[in-house]
Amino acid sequence: MEAISDRGIKRRKFKDKLFRYLVSGLTYCCLAIVFVILFYIFKKGIGSLNWAIFSQLPKPVGETGGGVVNAIVGTLMLVSVASIIAIPFGVSVGIYLADNRGRKMAGRVSLAVDMLQGVPSIVLGIIIYLWVVKPMGGFSALSGSIVLSIMMLPPVIKNTEETLVLIPNTIKEASLALGASYFRTTMKILLPTGIGGIFGGCILGIARVAGEAAPLLFTAFGNPYMNYNILKPVNSLPLVLFNYASSPYDDWHKIAWGATFILVSMVLILNIIVKYFENRWKVQF
Amino acid sequence: MEGTILKTENLKVSFGNTLVLKGINMEIPEKQVTAFMGPSGCGKTTFLRAINRMHDLTPEAKVEGIIKLHEDDVYKMDAMTLRRRVGMVFQRPNPFPTMSIQENVLAGFTLNGIKLKAQEKKEVVEDALKKVALWEEVKDKLTARSTSLSGGQQQRLCLARTVAMKPEIILLDEPTSALDPLSTSKIEDLLYELKGNYTLVIVTHNMQQAARISDVTSFFYLGELLEFDDTKKVFTNPKSEKTQNYITGRFG
Amino acid sequence: MEHLQAELDSLRSELSQMCNLVLEQLKRAEKVFIGNERSVLKEIASIEKLVNAKELQIDSRCETILALFTPVAVDLRFILSALRINGNLERIGDLADGVGRTVSHSKENFDKNLLEKVNANGAFKGTIEMFECLIQAYEKEDTLLARDIFVKDKLIDTIVNQAISIAEEYAKNNPDSFSQSIQMLSIMKMLERVGDHLKNIAEEIIFYSEARVLKHGGKKANGAE
Repeated sequence: MEAISDRGIKRRKFKDKLFRYLVSGLTYCCLAIVFVILFYIFKKGIGSLNWAIFSQLPKPVGETGGGVVNAIVGTLMLVSVASIIAIPFGVSVGIYLADNRGRKMAGRVSLAVDMLQGVPSIVLGIIIYLWVVKPMGGFSALSGSIVLSIMMLPPVIKNTEETLVLIPNTIKEASLALGASYFRTTMKILLPTGIGGIFGGCILGIARVAGEAAPLLFTAFGNPYMNYNILKPVNSLPLVLFNYASSPYDDWHKIAWGATFILVSMVLILNIIVKYFENRWKVQF
Repeated sequence: MEGTILKTENLKVSFGNTLVLKGINMEIPEKQVTAFMGPSGCGKTTFLRAINRMHDLTPEAKVEGIIKLHEDDVYKMDAMTLRRRVGMVFQRPNPFPTMSIQENVLAGFTLNGIKLKAQEKKEVVEDALKKVALWEEVKDKLTARSTSLSGGQQQRLCLARTVAMKPEIILLDEPTSALDPLSTSKIEDLLYELKGNYTLVIVTHNMQQAARISDVTSFFYLGELLEFDDTKKVFTNPKSEKTQNYITGRFG
Repeated sequence: MEHLQAELDSLRSELSQMCNLVLEQLKRAEKVFIGNERSVLKEIASIEKLVNAKELQIDSRCETILALFTPVAVDLRFILSALRINGNLERIGDLADGVGRTVSHSKENFDKNLLEKVNANGAFKGTIEMFECLIQAYEKEDTLLARDIFVKDKLIDTIVNQAISIAEEYAKNNPDSFSQSIQMLSIMKMLERVGDHLKNIAEEIIFYSEARVLKHGGKKANGAE
């Protein structure tokens, strides 16, 4: 009897170990890939980082040098306007979904959000081209922001909903039991309590759309010059990447790597900010 | 016994198709402690939460019958006004986590948009915290996060938050079941002191607690009110045999 | 537990009151028997009703405390002994009343010589002293003092035992006063029973203070057998 059960144990132990190594191994592979990519970008991009890239406009074809200052400004503009549109809408929908969990309407809204997340970004770009660019008569930063804001909605909504749902019901009940209205309960208790997660959702949304090029092809379009006017086309870092990387010029390749580096750093920093503030604003229940 | 502060007539509560409370008639005396006891699922918490209309938050809940606070029909008045007159303390201490200790005490005012001057605020905070015997322990850290307090202290803070609004009735839903025996004892002493000025209604699954602190005890069983009498009578010679079986622990 | 403490304090003071009430009854009995003050008889009878009412009140309070607070340890021992002390006090009250009744049945005053021979005065004084000592022991929870009672009680027993033979002699020599000597004996016996009840109370005080059961011969420590 002893021998038989012993044999079983050896095999189970082996399977266990194998499984553990497999899981760890694959994880490290993924991690390695991420690091390799980042390292490569860093190596390639750091060479292009100089004062010029941050301060100069792109030079016309044929001339060397130049920078991407208009793209940096453009990205910032696009992202801020997109946030101004997306955050109020997104947080509101998140509040609605958290409050009406289990109800039919909420189920339908949730489904709609999921579907929206699945729409390819280029398709959104084309749609906005038809709905905004054409009536406006031209490309603009505004139309670009609109596309980006639509893309920002799902992460903002999902994160808001999940954060609010995690707040114990008893906190909400405590507020209502004091005679507070639904509005005050949400604004003064629920949102402040969930600010960590909601903020995180917004930043994640921003990080996601900052690097999108496809939808901007038909909306913001790009601009060789500096532009602060929201109703005119504007350049952005992903567009620079798209255009310069596929060009035949070495010079432009270098600038493209520089732009890549800036973009990736931006996203990385945003992610780090999210982690930091989520921890600081973390509420224990 | 002083007058009646709350009266229910044929109160029925159902969730979906299940009738949880089967027509309760009760008169709760003023400025005394009334305890609701009974086995799990008997409806005592449902009854308590019907008083301050917490069932409004549950779409499947249906409430029939009349509840009168003094002469006012509870279900005809504005729910927010009602909840300022009827306070509630919950089973798990739930101070607002983003607010400091003193902000929590003042939360009732903040959430109702009632503005107080700085001096009034200080007085309200000190008065409420003294009433719940928490002042000495926290007077030097009023701006600390409310979550830095122990469980028993947090529950007293929640009580202070309720008391600050000077409600006519305070409902307590198993207020000590999540606390250790020492904190429980402190809170029981507190409730004993408060009852001179407030009407307290407490749901408890600990019948010894009901015996210790209440003046009037009611026994709920399967959604019906089987006994409602002076606590001394209920625990020495109850009228209903089911009550006797429950308190002697013979419940099957 | 402030609420429980308040109830226990009330119980303690009610027992104190009962003690003093019954002690006064005993003193009245002394006046009536030794001092021949028949005017006090009515008082004894009416106060006896009060004593009975108080006994019921104390019993009810004990029942309430047990039902509502489920006391343990020293509190439980105190309640149990309070119940028994209460009963003993009521019996002492009955006995004092009994003395009064016996005196009121006898048409003539008792012969002073007889009372002197029998040391009725000593017996009464001894019992009253025992009682006062007991009240002190109760209030201070002084178990040494409580143990003194056992010693004092012996003295009373001795007096009463001797009284039997003295009464026999007296009856032989004064056949007309035969009923007197019987009634005197019965009163002395009542006193002896008062002493016994006081002893029981002392045992109860020791029980709840030290959790020692001294009933039925389990006595130890200073002064006791």
